[in-house]
Amino acid sequence: MSTISWLFYINFAIFAVFLTLFFTELMGAVLLLVRYEQTKARVLAHVVPIWEVTGTFAAFWVVTGDFAYPSMLIPVASIFAGYILVFLILLVARNASISFAEYIIKRAWLDEKKLYQVYAVATILIGAVVVLILSTIVSGAGIDLGTLSFSLGSWLTNPGSLPYLLGVVVLAAGLAPIFYGVTELRRWALPVTALGIVLETVALYAYSRGFITGWFVVPAVFTLLPALLFLHPRTAPIVTNKVVFAIVGFLIIFSQSYLVHPTAFAHATGGPLPVQAVTTTGPMVDAFLVLSTAGLVIVGLLMIFYLYAVNQPAGSVPGRASPPPGGQAEPRGP
Amino acid sequence: MSAGIANFDRFLFAFTIGSHILLVSLSIGLSILISALEFPAARSPDKYYSSLARRLVRPLVISFGVGTGSGIVMAVELVNLFPKFMTLVSNTGVIAIFYVEIFAFFLETIFLVIYVYRGNAFRGRFTRWALTLPIMVGTLLSAVLIVMVNAWMNTPNGFDKATYISTGAVTNVNPWAPFLTTSTGYEVMHVVTTVPLTGLMLIGGYFAYRYLHASGVEERTLFLRGLRVAAFASLAFVVLAIISGALEIDGLYKYQPLKYAAIELDPNPGNNLPLTLFGSLSGQSIVAGFQIPGLQSILTGHANLPGLSQYPSSLWPPLIVHTTFDVMVIGGGLLGLFVLVYVGLWSIGRRPYDRPWMTYLYAVFSFLTLIVMELGWATDEIGRQPWIVYNVLTVNAAANYSDALLVPGLIIVAFYLLLVPFTIYFMVRVFNGRSMEIEPAGAPEGTDVNY
Repeated sequence: MSTISWLFYINFAIFAVFLTLFFTELMGAVLLLVRYEQTKARVLAHVVPIWEVTGTFAAFWVVTGDFAYPSMLIPVASIFAGYILVFLILLVARNASISFAEYIIKRAWLDEKKLYQVYAVATILIGAVVVLILSTIVSGAGIDLGTLSFSLGSWLTNPGSLPYLLGVVVLAAGLAPIFYGVTELRRWALPVTALGIVLETVALYAYSRGFITGWFVVPAVFTLLPALLFLHPRTAPIVTNKVVFAIVGFLIIFSQSYLVHPTAFAHATGGPLPVQAVTTTGPMVDAFLVLSTAGLVIVGLLMIFYLYAVNQPAGSVPGRASPPPGGQAEPRGP
Repeated sequence: MSAGIANFDRFLFAFTIGSHILLVSLSIGLSILISALEFPAARSPDKYYSSLARRLVRPLVISFGVGTGSGIVMAVELVNLFPKFMTLVSNTGVIAIFYVEIFAFFLETIFLVIYVYRGNAFRGRFTRWALTLPIMVGTLLSAVLIVMVNAWMNTPNGFDKATYISTGAVTNVNPWAPFLTTSTGYEVMHVVTTVPLTGLMLIGGYFAYRYLHASGVEERTLFLRGLRVAAFASLAFVVLAIISGALEIDGLYKYQPLKYAAIELDPNPGNNLPLTLFGSLSGQSIVAGFQIPGLQSILTGHANLPGLSQYPSSLWPPLIVHTTFDVMVIGGGLLGLFVLVYVGLWSIGRRPYDRPWMTYLYAVFSFLTLIVMELGWATDEIGRQPWIVYNVLTVNAAANYSDALLVPGLIIVAFYLLLVPFTIYFMVRVFNGRSMEIEPAGAPEGTDVNY
C-alpha cells in the first residue's frame, strides 16, 4: 500500500470512529423522540457521557482531513459553504441543549424532556446534513467540480439520493433497539434493519452500478449480524455490549471506503476525482504519519482508561472528608 | 460586493472568536479553580472545598460543552471563510499544531467525563484531585496550541515565503518549524496568564458578591473559601500577566516593528521617544493625545524605536489599535493594583470581603478584566491587518467571496447573541440550583450500561 493510501485510510478510520459514535447518538435521538419515557434512562446513560467524545472525534476527522487534503479546502468551502454553516449552527444547538438538559431545573416553559428533544432534533438534522454531504462525496450527485458548486435540486432529483437518506433513517430505527437493549422491540430490529440495507443497496445501485460489487456484501453482512444476534435472548447481550457494537459499526463504515477510494465524487460534473491527486505530499506526509502514530497511542490509551473508569463499580472515596461540625464555618466579620 | 463579503467574513470570524474567548476563559478559570479546590478537599476534613468543587463542575460542563461546540465552529469557519489561508495552513506545519490540539481536546474531554461521571468510583484520597489535573492541563494546552497558530500568523516560518508570494506554491516545508516561531514564546506566555486571570476574576467577583449577600453561615463560608482561592490565584496571574505583557511588547519591537509603531502611535522612528496616551495621528503630528517625554524609550530600554513613516501607509493597520492598546494597558494596570490591594488587605487580616464597596469594586474589575482581555486580542488581530499571515497573505486574498455565506452567517450571529448570555445565565442558575450536598446529574454512578 502506498504512503498516500495510508493517509487516506488513517483519515477514513478516524471518520469511521466519529460516524459510529455519531450513529449511536442518532439512534438514541430517534428513541428520545418516539419513546422518551420508556427509553430515556438507557439512552441517556450512554449519550450523556459520550457526546463530547463524539464531538472531539468530529474535530479529529476535520483536522486530519485538512492535513491530508489541503487542495480540497477551497473546493469544499465553495461547494458546501452554506450547508457547513447550517451544520455549525446545529452543532452548537446540540451541544448547548444537551449540556443544559443535564442540569435543568424544571421551569414552567422549559424542562429536561424538551431540552433532550431539542438535542434529538438537532442531532437528527446534523445527521441529515452529514448524509447529504457524504452522499455527494460518494456519488457526485448535484456537484459541479468545474464551477465548484452544488445544486440541491439536482441532488434531490438523482434517483439514489432520497433512498440513501431514507435508508440511513431506517437503519437507525432498526439498529437503535439493539444498541440500547430495547427488548420489547426485539422482533422489529431484523426486518427494519434488512429494509434499511435494501434501501441503501437501491440507492447505491441508482448512484452507480459499479458500487454494488462483491465487496458490498461485507458491510451488508456486518449490518445484518447484530439484528440476527439480537433475536435470541442468549446472543443478544453480545451485540448490546457497547464496545462490541462500536467495533461492528466501525467495520461497517470502514468497509465502505471503496466507495470513495481511489476516486470520489463518482458522477460529479467534471468528476470523478482521484484521491491521490489531492493528497498532501513531501515532508507533510511524514509529519502526518508521525503525529497519527503518536495520536493513535495517546487516544487509544485514553479510551482504554475511559472504558476502565466506566467499568469501575461505584463507591465512595475512602478517607474523604466527612462533613465537619457546623462550628468550622467562618464567622462573618464585623 | 466582493469587498463587502470579505469584510463580512472578517466580522463573522471576529464575532465568533470574541464570543468563544469568553466561554474559554470561564472554562479555563473553572478548571483551575476546581483543581485548586479539590487539593485541600483531599487533604483536610473541610466539606466546603469539595462542595464548592462539585458545584463548580456543573457550570464547567456547560461552558465546556458550548465552548467545544463554538471551538469546532471556529475551526470549520476558518476553512469556510478563509479557504486560501487554510490551504496555506494545511500545506505547512501549522496544521500539525491543529492536529496536536486535538489530542489536548481528548485529554480534557475524557478526563472531564471520567471526573464528572465516574470520579467517585476510584479509591484513594487524592484521586479526584488527580483527575482534575489532566482537565486543567488539557484546557491550558488547547489555549497554548491555538496561540501557537496565532504566533505563526504574526511571524510565519516553515516554508519559502518569497516563492509563495511570487508563485503561490508552498515549497521547502519544515512541518515542525511553526511550533516555535520567533513570537511563539512571547504570545504563549501572555495568553496563558491573561486568559485564566479573566476566568478567575469573573468567578471571584461572583463569589465576592454572593458572599456579601449570603443568607447563612454555611453559604458565607462556602463562598469565602472560593473567593480566597480565586483572589490569591488572580494575584499570581496578575504578576505573571504584567511580566509577560512587557515581554510581548519587546517581541513586537523585535519582530513586528510596524505593529509596534502603530500601537505606540509613533509617527517617526527615533531615540528618546515619548509615551503617547490616546490621541490620533494627523499628518505627522499627534492630536488630542497626552505625551510623556522620553518615557517610551526608557520603558522599552531600546535606543532606536520604529516609526510609521518607515512603511508605506497602505500597509499600516487601523490606528485604532493605539487606543485599544492604551485602554488595555491602563485597565490592566488598575486591575493589577486592585487585586494587589485586595489580597494585601486580606493577608493582614483586614477582611476586604466584608466591605460592600470593595465587593462592588471587585465586580467592576471582573468585567474590566474581560474587556481588557478582549481588547488585547483585538489589538493583536487588528494590528496585523491587512495581513492574515503577516507580510505573506492578506485577508482579502484569503477570503471566501461566496454570497451563500451571508444568510447562515447572520443566523450564526443572531444565534450567538442569544446563546452566550443564556449560557452564562444558565451556568449561574445551575451553580445555585441545587443544594450543595447533591451530586451533579447525568449518567448515574454504577450505571448499567453494557460496556
